[in-house]
Amino acid sequence: MKENSHDIDSELIKKAKKGNHGAFNILMNKYYPRVYASIFSFIKSKEDSEDLSQQTFIKVWQQLHTFRGDSAFFTWVYRIAINLAKNFVTSSGFKKQKINTSIEDAEIDISSFDDIESAVIHNESLKEINNFIDSLPESLKTAFVLRESEGKSYEDIAAITETPIGTVRSRIFRARELIVEFIEKEITNNE
Amino acid sequence: MNNIKEKISAMYDGELDSSEIDELIEIVNINKDMQKQLSLYSLINVAVNQGSTKLKPKTVHKHSFKNIFSNVWFSNGLTAAATVLLTLTFMNFSDFSRLNENIDSTNQISSAINSKEAQLIAQRSEEYITDHVMKVLNDPNYMNSSSQIDLRNVGFNINTSDGISFTKGKEKFQLRIENKDFGLKKVRYWKHGNKMIYLVPLENGKVVTLYGNISITSAIEIAKSLDR
Repeated sequence: MKENSHDIDSELIKKAKKGNHGAFNILMNKYYPRVYASIFSFIKSKEDSEDLSQQTFIKVWQQLHTFRGDSAFFTWVYRIAINLAKNFVTSSGFKKQKINTSIEDAEIDISSFDDIESAVIHNESLKEINNFIDSLPESLKTAFVLRESEGKSYEDIAAITETPIGTVRSRIFRARELIVEFIEKEITNNE
Repeated sequence: MNNIKEKISAMYDGELDSSEIDELIEIVNINKDMQKQLSLYSLINVAVNQGSTKLKPKTVHKHSFKNIFSNVWFSNGLTAAATVLLTLTFMNFSDFSRLNENIDSTNQISSAINSKEAQLIAQRSEEYITDHVMKVLNDPNYMNSSSQIDLRNVGFNINTSDGISFTKGKEKFQLRIENKDFGLKKVRYWKHGNKMIYLVPLENGKVVTLYGNISITSAIEIAKSLDR
């Protein structure tokens, strides 16, 4: 993760610590799929992974004031998630644990996540998505892959592709839009 | 609407001007479609980094590509952190008695470590550790620096078949010593498949990395022998 991203996360965390639920919502939307994928790789159960992902973000919200920023935010969130997953595995033979905090009280809109994460992460869709990305127009694909696979900044991508930064930003966005469209049309509809 | 979505995309990449964040928070907070959009961008990242096909751009200018990517592994490290975090189990281990800090000294340094500079250093250390662990896992030559080290005093011999790993009974591992301490104050270890990775700080300010089938007890014993 590059410096800029840390800066924006830091900004969002600072606002969330002051009680800005919107800022926290953004952090949650940004990291939920990665948390879910991490837990699923550990638990191998869709339903339990969903529960634990929700518990993770409730705990993140409750403990956010203790986050000092001495590691990347996702690293911190990940540790909470994996500790919850490990406790879940070791506690009472995988008995289902219920969230003991009211989602409404926490004012976190977890219900906004639907099954789309599960659909993409659980089946052959990963390969389909990668195939689709491979078929994108070359200019979009190059900008997108340099960003997502190689972790390049917009500035670096602009230098590599010899295009203005604004064009890079636009190409990455357009690539994402096409991929989102593909996921919604081709993958989630087939579930 | 596309303008807002483009801003969300830029924010996801950490490329949005901070002055635009407040406006975007308000919009995303009241618009479920925008929340979903952000979540999907993250999902795409998971798909790309977990997918079986490694994507590569095809038509970038080769000369500039070569120069900029000459140190590509390192620059990839932080993005790759997502992948490593999906496959590694993070754990901390802190009963390395000689590294215990007493309460007074902890209090004395607490104000120092809360400084912005110290946090930046700590943050970078975490990133270096992530990069280091990624290299241990992915670069077969990275751990090939152990042949000069003699561990016979703790019962480990060089494996004659490969010349780079150490063995004792069922334990088999590779070892590497860093001339920097990564900011480590205690042993950290990770489980990767059936192997372990240990990072053990030494008294001389170096860090020893052990990777393979080896117990924490042996790892600490070896580290202590290196300190002698």
